[in-house]
Amino acid sequence: MVSFMDVMEKAVTGKPCLARDFELKIFVPKLREVVKEYNIKYDSTTIIPSDNSLADDIFEAAFDFFLEVGAYCMDTERIIRFDENEIKKGLKEAPSKALLGEGKDARTLTPRKPEDKTPPWCFLGAGGVPVSSEKIFSSLVEGYASIPEANSITTPALTSAGGLRIRPRSPIEMLGAIRNAVLAREALRRAGRSGLPIMNTLATAESAVALTMALHPRYGLRTTDGYLVAVMDPFKVDFDRLNKAYAVLSLGAPLGICISPLLGGYSGGAEGTAVANAAYHLLATLVSQATWHLPFPLHIKYVCNTTPELLWLISVSGQAISRNTHLLSLNLNYTAAGPCTEMCLHEIAASVITSVVSGLSIEALGVTGGRYEDNMTPVEPRFSAEVAHAAAGVGREDADSIVKQLVNKYVDKIANPPVGKRYQECFDISRMVPSREYIGIYDKAKKELEDLGIAFKRK
Amino acid sequence: MNEKEVVIEKLRSGVIACHKKAVIEAAHEVIKKGLDPVEAIERGISEGMRVIGDRFEKMEVYLPEMMIAANIVEAGLNVLLPEIQKEKLPMKGKVVIGTIKGDIHGIGKDVVAAMLRAYGFDVYDLGVDVPVSKFCEEANKVEADIIAISALMSSTIGGQKDAIDFLEEMGVRRRFIVMVGGGAASPEWARMIGADGYAKTAAEASKFALELIKERRER
Repeated sequence: MVSFMDVMEKAVTGKPCLARDFELKIFVPKLREVVKEYNIKYDSTTIIPSDNSLADDIFEAAFDFFLEVGAYCMDTERIIRFDENEIKKGLKEAPSKALLGEGKDARTLTPRKPEDKTPPWCFLGAGGVPVSSEKIFSSLVEGYASIPEANSITTPALTSAGGLRIRPRSPIEMLGAIRNAVLAREALRRAGRSGLPIMNTLATAESAVALTMALHPRYGLRTTDGYLVAVMDPFKVDFDRLNKAYAVLSLGAPLGICISPLLGGYSGGAEGTAVANAAYHLLATLVSQATWHLPFPLHIKYVCNTTPELLWLISVSGQAISRNTHLLSLNLNYTAAGPCTEMCLHEIAASVITSVVSGLSIEALGVTGGRYEDNMTPVEPRFSAEVAHAAAGVGREDADSIVKQLVNKYVDKIANPPVGKRYQECFDISRMVPSREYIGIYDKAKKELEDLGIAFKRK
Repeated sequence: MNEKEVVIEKLRSGVIACHKKAVIEAAHEVIKKGLDPVEAIERGISEGMRVIGDRFEKMEVYLPEMMIAANIVEAGLNVLLPEIQKEKLPMKGKVVIGTIKGDIHGIGKDVVAAMLRAYGFDVYDLGVDVPVSKFCEEANKVEADIIAISALMSSTIGGQKDAIDFLEEMGVRRRFIVMVGGGAASPEWARMIGADGYAKTAAEASKFALELIKERRER
C-alpha cells in the first residue's frame, strides 16, 4: 500500500491545477460522465433499493471516477493521483477491523453487509455540535455513556475556554482541546464506563496544532480512541488536516476520516452525490490512510440528510461500499428538526434503518443541522441506538416500506423544521432524565415503529 | 421580435444555457448596434442569471451551473460595463464576501456569492481563510455596501465577531452592512455580535441583502 510519504510526494509533484479548474473542469465533468456511463438513475419511488447491480455499478463508477480525478491538495495546488494497482492494493490492505476502547468497554469495529444481522457499531453523542458551557458538555457526555448500546462516544464541541470565545490556531483553542479531552474522560469515568473510546477526538480542535497538543497522554487520550479528521468537499485535502492524520497514525491510533459531499453542490443530484460518497472512501483510504470512514452527505439548503434523495444515496453508496470492500464505514445522521419533537425522532428512525440495512454502522448524531448550541440531549442517540439494534437483520424491501412511511410523516416540514427544545429545557440535568413531555414523544415514536414492524430489543 | 429583443434574448438564453461565447458575442452586438447597455444587462444578462438562481433554489440545477453562469455573467459585464456611465450602472450594490480566517470551508460562501450575482450584485470574493483586516481593506477600496462573512465551524465563528469589532474600532462600521452566515451561525449569534443580517440559505441572503440596501438608501 502507498505510504503517507508516497502521498506527500504525489502532493508536491502531481499535476499543477487551479482549485476552480479542479472543481469545474475536472471533478464536475468526470462525475457526470461516470453517472451517464454506468446509467445510474435516482428512482423517487424507492428509498432503499434491493438491486445489488445498482450498488455494484455505483462502486465501479466510484472507482473509475477516483482513478481519473484523484484528490486536490490545496496547499501545493496539485492533483494527487493513484494508478489502478495502487487503488486495488490500498483497498485490499485497508484495515478490516479496529480494536477500540479499553477494559470491559473495548470492542472491535467490523465491516457489515446489507441486511446483516450483526448489530451495527453505535458511535453515540453530539456529533461535535457546540455547547454553551463545560457543565452542559460534561452532563451530556455522561448521559451518552449511560446508553447501554454505546460502543463509542462523540462529544460536543466547546465554544469557549478560559472565559474566551475560541479562535482557531490560538492558545484559547489549545486550552479548549485540552478541556474537551479531560472533561470527556472524566464524564465517562462518572458514568462507570471509563474504557469507552472517544471517537471524535477532539471536536474542539479545528487546527492540527490544537489536536497534536491535546494528544499528550496526560490529558487522558489513548491510542485506542478513534481520531476523526476531515477531508474537504469536493475531494480536497490540505496540509493542516493531513498533519492531523499523520500525527494520529504516527501514534498507532485508529484514524477516522469524515467527509461531507453536498447534494446540490459540486456533486450535483442524488446520482452524482451517491458516486462521490462511495468514491470518498477510496480517497480516505489512499490519501489519508483511514482506519474507518464517516461519510455524512448533506442537503445544500437544509443541512440535514433525511430527505428522500439523501436517504436513497446513503443507502446505495453504503451498499456499494459494504458489498465491494471490507472498509469500516459509518453514516453520520444530521436531522432538520430538534429535540423534543416527533419529527426529529421520525428522521432518526428513517436514517438509522436506512444505514443499518444497507451495510453501514452509525454515528448518532447532529441534531437540527448542528446549528444551535445546546440543542441536543441523550434521548436522540439513545433512540438511534435502540432503532439501530432493532433494524439489524431487517430485509431491504421491508425496510424500504417502513422508511417511506416515516419520511411521509415529516418530508413536508423539512424546509421549516421545528427547532425543538434545548437540553436544559427538556431534560432534568440533576436527575439525568428527560422531561415528561419528551418521554411521551419518545414512547409514542417507539410505538409507531413497533406498529410498522420494528421489534425493539429493549422496551 | 425586433432587433433589440433578439439581442436581449440571446444574452438571457446564453446565460441560462451556460454558453459563454454566445453571451460575449451578443454583448458586442449590443455595442455595435448602439443598443442601451443598461437595458441589455437588466433584461438580458441579469434576467438569465435570475432564472438560474430560481432553478438552483428549486434544485433543478446545482452549484456548478450557478458557478459557470456567474462566470459567464462576469464575461458579459466586462464587455458592457465600460460603455455605461458610473452613475447609471445597473448593479444593485457591491458585496465583499469571504470565509473568515482559520476556516477553509468555501462552498457555502461560493453559493451565496453566485446567488448574489444572480440578484444583480457586484461581488468581490476574497476566498477562504480571510484575515479581518482584509475585509475592511477591500470594502473600503471598492466602496462596498455589504460585507458578508462566512464561518462553518463553531471553533471559527468567533472570527465573525472579530471582524465586526475590527470595523467598529477602525471607525468604519457604519459605512457597511455586515451580514454573517455559515453552518455555525444563527439569528441569535448575528444579533449578539452586532451583525445587520443573517440568512439560512443563499436565496434568503440575497433577498435580505436587497432589503437592507433599500432600507439604508431610504434612510
